Amino acid sequence: MNGSYGHLLFEQAIPNDQAVVDELRPYFESAHLDAREVFHRSARIDLHPDAGAPGAHAQYPTCLPPTAKKGLFGEVMTGLLTQAYQFIGGHQWTIPVFLFRYHAEAEAYIFDLARDPPRVREISGRHGNDFIALAIDPASGEVVRFIAGEAKWRADLTPSVMDTMMFGEWTGPAGARVRSNDGVWNEINRGLPTPQGLEQMHRLLCEKARDDYAEAIVSLDRALLIGGNPLPRTDLVFVAGNRAARRAQGQTYLPTNSHPVEYTAGRPLQVVELVLEGGVDLIESLYRSLWGGR
Amino acid sequence: MARLDEQRRELALSLRARAIENELTPTQARLFVRSLQISWQVPPIGWTERESHEQLADARRLLHAASILREVDGQASPDSLACYRRAAELLEWLARSSDPVTRDVPVALLAAGAYQLAGLPAMATSLLRQGRYGAGIAEIFADFLSADFDGLLEHCALFWSDHPELTGRSGSARVLDGADLADDETDDPAIDADAVDAPRREARPESPVGWYVLVEVIRVLGLLGDAMRRGNQGRVEQALSKLSDLNMLATRLSSEELWILINLTESTAKRFADNSLHGRVRRLAENAPNQQARMWRFAREQFARGRGVLWASQVQGLERLIANSSFALCTPTGSGKTLVANLALVKELLLVDAQPGEAPLALYLVPSRALASEVETKLTAELGSDLIITGLYGGADWGITDYWLTADRAVVLIATVEKAEALLRYVGHLLTQRLRLLIIDEAHQVVSEDDVTTREALAAHTSRAMRIEAMVTRLLATKPGMARIALTAVAGGAARPVARWIEGRADAEPVGIGYRSSRQLIGALRVASRRVPEAILDIMNGQMLYVRGRDQPVYLPLRIPAMPDPAAPVRDSLPHFTELYVLWTALHLLEGGRRVLISVAQAPERLMKRYAEAVAFASWQNVPPFAPPTDADGLARYREARLACLDYCGPESFELRLLERGIATSHGQMPQRLRRLMTDLIDRRICPITVATATLTEGVNLPFDIIFLTSLERRSFDPQTGQPVVVPMSTGEFRNLAGRAGRPGAAQSIEGITLVAVPETISSTAPAKRRAQQRQVRARSAEYDNLLFRLRADEEVGGAGSPLAVLLRSIANRAITQFGLQTEEQFLAWLEATLPEGAGANLGVASRTPHDLLGDSLDELDGFLLAAIEELARFEQAEVNGPRAEVYLRGLWQRTFAQVSAAEEAWLERSFIKRGRAFVERLYPNALQRRRLYQYGFTPYIGRRFELVAPQLVAELFAAAQYGTWTAEQRFDLFVRLGERIRAEPGIGFRVRPTPGDQQLLADWRGILGWWTQRPGAVAPSADRLRSWQRFVGDNLEFRLGVAVGAAVAQAWNANAGALETPSLQTWRATTNLPWVAFWFRELLRWGTLDPFVAFSLSQGLAQTREAAAARRAEFEVWLAAQGAGLEAETLIDPQWFLAWQRSLADRNVAQEIVRGNAAALTGTDGRQGVYDVRPIVRGDRVDWIDAAGYSLANSAISPALLTNRPERHDFRLSTIQAPEVTRTF
Repeated sequence: MNGSYGHLLFEQAIPNDQAVVDELRPYFESAHLDAREVFHRSARIDLHPDAGAPGAHAQYPTCLPPTAKKGLFGEVMTGLLTQAYQFIGGHQWTIPVFLFRYHAEAEAYIFDLARDPPRVREISGRHGNDFIALAIDPASGEVVRFIAGEAKWRADLTPSVMDTMMFGEWTGPAGARVRSNDGVWNEINRGLPTPQGLEQMHRLLCEKARDDYAEAIVSLDRALLIGGNPLPRTDLVFVAGNRAARRAQGQTYLPTNSHPVEYTAGRPLQVVELVLEGGVDLIESLYRSLWGGR
Repeated sequence: MARLDEQRRELALSLRARAIENELTPTQARLFVRSLQISWQVPPIGWTERESHEQLADARRLLHAASILREVDGQASPDSLACYRRAAELLEWLARSSDPVTRDVPVALLAAGAYQLAGLPAMATSLLRQGRYGAGIAEIFADFLSADFDGLLEHCALFWSDHPELTGRSGSARVLDGADLADDETDDPAIDADAVDAPRREARPESPVGWYVLVEVIRVLGLLGDAMRRGNQGRVEQALSKLSDLNMLATRLSSEELWILINLTESTAKRFADNSLHGRVRRLAENAPNQQARMWRFAREQFARGRGVLWASQVQGLERLIANSSFALCTPTGSGKTLVANLALVKELLLVDAQPGEAPLALYLVPSRALASEVETKLTAELGSDLIITGLYGGADWGITDYWLTADRAVVLIATVEKAEALLRYVGHLLTQRLRLLIIDEAHQVVSEDDVTTREALAAHTSRAMRIEAMVTRLLATKPGMARIALTAVAGGAARPVARWIEGRADAEPVGIGYRSSRQLIGALRVASRRVPEAILDIMNGQMLYVRGRDQPVYLPLRIPAMPDPAAPVRDSLPHFTELYVLWTALHLLEGGRRVLISVAQAPERLMKRYAEAVAFASWQNVPPFAPPTDADGLARYREARLACLDYCGPESFELRLLERGIATSHGQMPQRLRRLMTDLIDRRICPITVATATLTEGVNLPFDIIFLTSLERRSFDPQTGQPVVVPMSTGEFRNLAGRAGRPGAAQSIEGITLVAVPETISSTAPAKRRAQQRQVRARSAEYDNLLFRLRADEEVGGAGSPLAVLLRSIANRAITQFGLQTEEQFLAWLEATLPEGAGANLGVASRTPHDLLGDSLDELDGFLLAAIEELARFEQAEVNGPRAEVYLRGLWQRTFAQVSAAEEAWLERSFIKRGRAFVERLYPNALQRRRLYQYGFTPYIGRRFELVAPQLVAELFAAAQYGTWTAEQRFDLFVRLGERIRAEPGIGFRVRPTPGDQQLLADWRGILGWWTQRPGAVAPSADRLRSWQRFVGDNLEFRLGVAVGAAVAQAWNANAGALETPSLQTWRATTNLPWVAFWFRELLRWGTLDPFVAFSLSQGLAQTREAAAARRAEFEVWLAAQGAGLEAETLIDPQWFLAWQRSLADRNVAQEIVRGNAAALTGTDGRQGVYDVRPIVRGDRVDWIDAAGYSLANSAISPALLTNRPERHDFRLSTIQAPEVTRTF
């Protein structure tokens, strides 16, 4: 940690086995429980006119394809590490409910981008974030800060893959070596004072524990309603991936002492790198094991 | 209230200041102006992307605040609704500006959802009708959010057609089924490839969850659309539960924008379900089990018309209708009063047990003949198969369409109050016996101001308000148990008194007050020479519109080309210049199918002339030209109107010249048929610009987006006083006019805008004109400010004077002044003893001397008393004496509008009753005379004068038995003789203004009659004089001559008919002992012909012009001869033969459409339910029958007859009880 910048590197110490899976499973189950319950509840109402006997419904999140599970894995791991380790600023982060939001698909379907290519260019950035957690003052019960940012998974996490992810694709004529600047840093720089998901988080608090979180809810109302009075924000970048062939023990791909020049948001920033061995398999085994594979 | 809710509420309320209806922050105002400019396709003001994002953020804050307020204060919380409204407005303005502020969801959809929650469904519909949300799934949401269920089912069908893999029994589960998807990643340690050439990869992991949620939402929306239309409560509830769950899922798993959309959609869906017409109709029909199927159909038909989901005002109206029978519904134009009225008809006419011979009847009073025809058309379309619907607006007191009289079926009579009066006199027994329901449209017209104009109109017997009060009061007294409903759009402060009057309860409250379904803007068009036009928007939805912190109105630069400087004669007249400036502006605002009305306060012929000249100016030739319609139907209508215009106005007329430039015209003097055709062109949006007087828009709904007013006052010259008379436009008239702009569903734009042309600078360059024009500039500006002031003033207070009270006050004041009466006793004594002629000497001729005004006012009062007493006599079938009259009138008074609006003035009642008793005992003691006078339909004094003339009229008609074979000259002579008999008679004779021009018309009345009736060789007027001739025809020939002859004919009927006899064509001639020409006379005057066959053909739509109608006579006569009928004079004009001929023309081969069921094979069901609601998906030559939630159930061969070409409009059902079969059920 250095000033308002923190960097953590986690490397897998023991090889994948059932013990690793068993250790992770409870946290993953708790992280997915809420969404799973809601998902199953919605699936129980079968709109088929012959409905009556419940059909064989897909089990969430086990049913998801591998790519989706890897996305979820990144988000849950972010949560786990956020709660388990001291991040920059030393705040105690709470994740009342995990949000697992999927932005890109809905947009493409609803806007029907295939028929309207110019729109893609018009859109001025996603302002999205994969992960969000709250710092709740134990005395007042109010939300005093939030942490939000990106959680990424790459199996082939090499320096060039990392660069592309962080800075954007190569653009312009081949060999010009110009990045399109639409990578993670740009996303973080453009992060909104009121981040995506804060309102959904607020709704979930109301839905699940209206009275327990009353103070937190009011403080979120204040942040959401009063434009000039945003909550302080900590930025988070979480990158997980398999160890690349040439990656040395202890080697980091992102700066450890101070934030890169490309990061310009000027807020406290926490970077977490997680290096796994056989992560693809781990994720698959882990997700297969949730709720006994159901 | 949950813990800390009060704090949340306060936080939310801190945003409320940004959502004040008529107050915009400076940025909001700029955004609004910008959106208007962009939708008007004029260059917009400067604006940055950042501002758009800030406004979006603000809209979202308002949505959040609204949801807190709704949660804490309840769904109807006004604060919550206000926040939803402003959020919706901001989103709408962003959408209309095409600002790309959202990523996942089109902002127009969010706006529409917010409007639904703000209780402004019409705004949602208007906005979404503009497009701006793209294609694909967005259309499904857009259809749903605008309650367009036909469109919704059509787009859902397309979706399922594109995604057959999702229509299987397992539904969307397979979307998520990732088990069989191979993982393309491995755990092989990666080696950096050449970085530059590294393959581009998807930056984000793919997940099917977003897709899954959407597909499930589409299932729900399709099911909701289908089940709501069908009134299938169980399925609706199931879909709603599912949608709630999906919303919860979206809270966790969807992007924020999609979540907001689903959130708004869920709330909207609940609202739709709560406000479905099916539920109300079920409750109405609870006690009439045998009508339940019919009532279901009624509701389903309303869904087919896009009106199945009720608006707030309708919900209130129907709740009242279900609970009790009488109420006043006060909501602006286009908020769905018609539906409430229709259900009232259903309730009172269909859902009752009627004894044979007593089929119930409803009387639907409308303010104009044009509206009668509009209402008739609409009602016939909806209820024509259950009820006899007849618009009584023909020329005759009863006519060939009056078959309802003898049919033992429930009937709705649609009539103006004048026509209803005539009917009461003719067949009052029948009417009162069967009358169950009275509907008064535009009921605020009963309200009168206590001013000179009103008092003079009362004395001249031309006050429509008085006729309404008199007639409705009498009906209330004779049929106190009848249900009644008052409908009104612009009640102002009159709403409550009208409600109290109609309900007859002191604590009655109007329904729906304060509700506005659309956005109405009122402002000024700043007229300035050589300057680009600019509008100022001063009033939005009835309140002053401010830019917050600046106390300034909203400016709207129009940025169209400046009008080329016209020639000096135009510039030297500021009104002329102003009028052209308005037309120039209008011509440049037509982009995007906008429709403009230029409303003229007086002298429409002058404006038409100026416009006909202007469109021919060389400097105007770059104005985009008018393109006649390209579709066959539109072109045919345009041509028909053009022909009629040529027929009635002539080739040189301004009307024709303007019509050829796409400018429709309409004014009160225009012949009925032409007016109707012009209205049709306007209604169908064929003519982009209309120039019209207020008569066009009286109660009639036409699709105008912008209304321009060229002036706010009427000027005239009073020859009796030698003074100019300037009457400013009343706020009532202005409101009525402004209310016609931007009618939801009809107009193109989202808002209706009314702009008053206000000159800012002088137009003349001649020094001699400067001073006068500067004065005019100041005066126009002051008039406009005055209008704004008055509009604001009566929005807050509002008067509701009764014409009867005004009349009584006027009589008392004049009598006290003129006869020096000191006390009430003296006044009452005078009132008991004085006949009208005891007050004034020159009565019935609109004399304005104080004595004559007093005499005529007394006669007006006597007219009311006469009708009341005669109707009592007829009802009780006994002669009415003084004491009986007094008792009756005492009760009657309690039912007057005067009693409601002037309850504190007890002397009014005493005067009324005193005069009433004296009327029977002293003034008109002869019962037989009273009866005759009543039947004439005039006020008693004028009736007495008429009695002297009537026998001569009857004698003339009696002698015209050969009319059928007479030459045109002989026929014309009959008209002249009848005209001469009444021409100079006080009260019934011709009446013109004492101006030289009008006197000239009077002197030349035969020439006018000749032209109007197409006497061979008659000379047509010049274009300049056309309208004054038309006015003479309307006022004196059609009205005065027509009324007098009609009254004479009525007298002949009444003299011979039994008290309870009903007129019919079979008995009419024998009873009246008159030839058929007497039957036709008024129709001939109405259509402008000497030949009854022409009048018949035009009235029945068998010909488009008088020439064409005349040309069909030969055809008729050949047919007549073939029937073996002789060509005798009476046969040739016998309406029974005309009708028989018409029937022979009718195509008897209307094939009954028979749709058999289609055999089907089951797919995704075992048929266990027996019956399934299904929708068709056409795949090649097969039809996949799916449940509306997107599950395939069966398939069959395609059957075009079963599907029709618009399958989305119909309901289908799969029956599996025997062999599977699909049938169409709606």
